[in-house]
Amino acid sequence: MDLLPQLLIAGVVIGSIYALAALGFVLIYKSSRVINFAHGQIIATGAFIAFALTQKGVNFWLAGLIAMMATFFLGMLIERVFLRKMVGEPIISVIMVTIGLSSVIEGLIHLTPFGAGNFGFQTPAVLSGDGLNLLGTQLSRTQIAGVLAALGLLAGFTYFFNKSTLGITMRAVADDQMAAMSVGTSVERVFALAWAAAGLTAAAAGVILGLMSGLTLGGLAGIGLKVFPVVILGGLDSVAGAIVGGILIGILENLAAGYLDGLVPGGGTREVFPFIILIAVLLLRPYGLFGTKEIERV
Amino acid sequence: MNKALALTALISLASFASAKDITLVWSGAVTGPTSDAGSSYGKGVEDYCKYANSEKMLAGVTLKCVIRDDQYNNANTQSNFEEFVGNEQIPVFLGYSTGGMLQIKGTVQETKVPTLTASLHIGIIDPPNNQYMFLPVASYSENIVSLLEYVAKKERGAKVALIVNPSPFGRDPVVDARKAAERLGLKITDVQEVGGNNLDNTALLKRLEAQGAKYVINQNTAGPVANILKDAKRLGLLGKMQFMGAHYAGGEDLTKLAGDAAANFIWVTSYYMYDEGDKPGIQLVKKIGAQFNQKPDVIRSVNYTSGMLTASIAIEAMKRSGSTINNVTVYKALTSMVGSKKFDPGFSVGPVTFSAKDHVGAETMRLLQADATGNFKAITGPMQSQMFKLIHPMK
Repeated sequence: MDLLPQLLIAGVVIGSIYALAALGFVLIYKSSRVINFAHGQIIATGAFIAFALTQKGVNFWLAGLIAMMATFFLGMLIERVFLRKMVGEPIISVIMVTIGLSSVIEGLIHLTPFGAGNFGFQTPAVLSGDGLNLLGTQLSRTQIAGVLAALGLLAGFTYFFNKSTLGITMRAVADDQMAAMSVGTSVERVFALAWAAAGLTAAAAGVILGLMSGLTLGGLAGIGLKVFPVVILGGLDSVAGAIVGGILIGILENLAAGYLDGLVPGGGTREVFPFIILIAVLLLRPYGLFGTKEIERV
Repeated sequence: MNKALALTALISLASFASAKDITLVWSGAVTGPTSDAGSSYGKGVEDYCKYANSEKMLAGVTLKCVIRDDQYNNANTQSNFEEFVGNEQIPVFLGYSTGGMLQIKGTVQETKVPTLTASLHIGIIDPPNNQYMFLPVASYSENIVSLLEYVAKKERGAKVALIVNPSPFGRDPVVDARKAAERLGLKITDVQEVGGNNLDNTALLKRLEAQGAKYVINQNTAGPVANILKDAKRLGLLGKMQFMGAHYAGGEDLTKLAGDAAANFIWVTSYYMYDEGDKPGIQLVKKIGAQFNQKPDVIRSVNYTSGMLTASIAIEAMKRSGSTINNVTVYKALTSMVGSKKFDPGFSVGPVTFSAKDHVGAETMRLLQADATGNFKAITGPMQSQMFKLIHPMK
């Protein structure tokens, strides 16, 4: 079997998960123009809540749903307590708050039994059987479920932003806060909802990642940084961009690993490749493939 | 005169206090990279230290059992070492990471504080500045060479791939592995670096398959190896490739994470397994674990046993130091732990021996293979690598 189709399919699988992890960045940026550097830590929080519940005997699917609800409210809480006070402050201050939050959340996780060590979900029976052979590439049921969940959530949020009143309101706030406020939109409510939705998707990403590759604090929190090239490539304010960016980065990582690692002593090109793309995109198209090009009149 | 008397009394009092309280410190990764191994290891050190106090192993001495998280950060290791040597005059230091240990080698040599490490990097006890550095068990290099010897016995001329952690810990045995493979008539097809976050290993495994690699040896921690095994199972490669690993790659941690994908994994280690309940060392591990309310998965981890071995060596050396416990007497006790004075607490498959020239404690290892239920069973008896002594003689 030719290597190329296998690399492409594996790239789409992993890229879908990247897209879901990147969605949280997009949701917050799209409505509030804030880049949340604590997103990886929220992903880890969601994953460990679900894991802790399964350890207490809660059904895996129910544990995942509870974790999503928990991070939904965590996102809302973070916005209410920390971010709302920062409205109107310089962007660097807001960024520093999210960096500080990442340290605080990570520190709090360290106080739990999940701060150190490797953990793994017990794979649910329905995901344990034979998977699917697609063009010679064997996909596990866990991978298929991960891709379906990721694409389902991404499709849902695309619909939400394009068709629902609330989604359009969120876009309006992102576009012009003052104009949105002048027509009676509650900007605070929109911000809170964006953070809550980002928290919800973070838990979903964390649970899927944990199911596929185990749970470590470093690994889950690190995903927050790893998907940064995805949102830069796709465009920070575009759900469609997150999907395309995620899949493109997943494929490019796999192509690098398949064809370049053998040429480089020790390999590891897949770790570097996304960041080369990130630099190139920032130089050539700073607003990404699908991001909004901002034009300022002076 | 009165002032002189008071000063003398103070010094005597201080000496008396220091003779009663001795700090046993371990500095390692309780959090951060490789903390999957480090957290259990640290608990092993701490619990054995507390057990030594409860058993009054050191007459008239209470050990202060200190666990310091260095977060796998070399600078933190260095500052922990300097703090405890400077402030507490510790007689022995227990360290952890390869990078941290290589960084403090020079300072250890200057301060002459014997240092036992969790890292089994052979460079730690190679010159220069190696006089006070000790490995509790056989090195990673010796682990990997023994696996290559096993492969050569099974299939001369076999193609072997190495997957290593992208760190000094992972890269350590590569040079010795290449030398050994050449002498053993094996072909190393590839050396690839894989760290944590290896969400998908399709490209890596497919390339190794295309190269014809039949044996894949891992020098890594259990997390990344588990992901590789799960992907190998998904791709139908477990029957085509024999996966193997050095000390930190295997054990309960691996089977817990990889599930049935860990079946048939071959692992080399110097330690007894939790399931070998007839071994006195394992009985002690279980007893101490229960005494200090450790969770079952911590007690089952080989890293918990490893931490206990290291602490037991340090405490035994203090015990053999007699009435004066300091870095000089501990060093002397360690380097005379040979022949009739060998030390065998029962945690490792062979006794711990050190001398002025030999700084590897338990040099014997066994190869174990995971069965379908994830338990590792010995497939060889205790052994030492003959080839390793030829390609890397102790200096």
